Amino acid sequence: MNLTWLQVIIAAVFEVGWVIGLKHASTPLEWTATVICIIVSFYLMIQAGSKLPVGTVYAVFVGLGTAGTVTADMLIFGEPVQLGKLLLIAILLAGVIGLKLVTGDDKEEHA
Amino acid sequence: MAWIVLVLAGLCEMLGVFMMGRMYQKRNVQSFIYMVAAFSMSFGLLAIAMKTLPMGTAYAIWTGIGAAGGAILGMIAFGESKDWRRIVFITMILGATIGLKLM
Repeated sequence: MNLTWLQVIIAAVFEVGWVIGLKHASTPLEWTATVICIIVSFYLMIQAGSKLPVGTVYAVFVGLGTAGTVTADMLIFGEPVQLGKLLLIAILLAGVIGLKLVTGDDKEEHA
Repeated sequence: MAWIVLVLAGLCEMLGVFMMGRMYQKRNVQSFIYMVAAFSMSFGLLAIAMKTLPMGTAYAIWTGIGAAGGAILGMIAFGESKDWRRIVFITMILGATIGLKLM
């Protein structure tokens, strides 16, 4: 259960990798890395769907990927740090944590 | 026209998530192929829409249709939890995601 959530988180990290790659890749090596990131992120995300509800997996995957991309933009690529962005990231993470907590409840109820 | 393409891209994304669930339910190769086709088509259409629409807007709408639609289809087709807390948390994630894409 926890491992599957970890898997979705790792999938989102690779998603951040390919979003950055699509924007910034210029050499064949960078494009290869981008394609590998796409394959790994989707593979991990799709596999997580075997253990968790697909609606949950996809929402968390997309949400964490976006939060990670915005964070990387601010930390690495010098995008302005805005209070609004930080607030939205906080709401997003709260949603993911909440979703994880209630999903745990469900599995126990149905077990 | 670009808006129609964008909505189609979102619907393909929704279909991809649906096929993902069906693949685990039916355990067949067909669903896997449909899933890959739907996700690929979705990406292609998104890329076309982005040529004319602003990137942030296009992304936000695409994600919104895909993830919200995927969650709703999951509840209808695969009996995934309709717990109000789950719906609230998914709405929080999607709302924040769309907000971040638009900023």
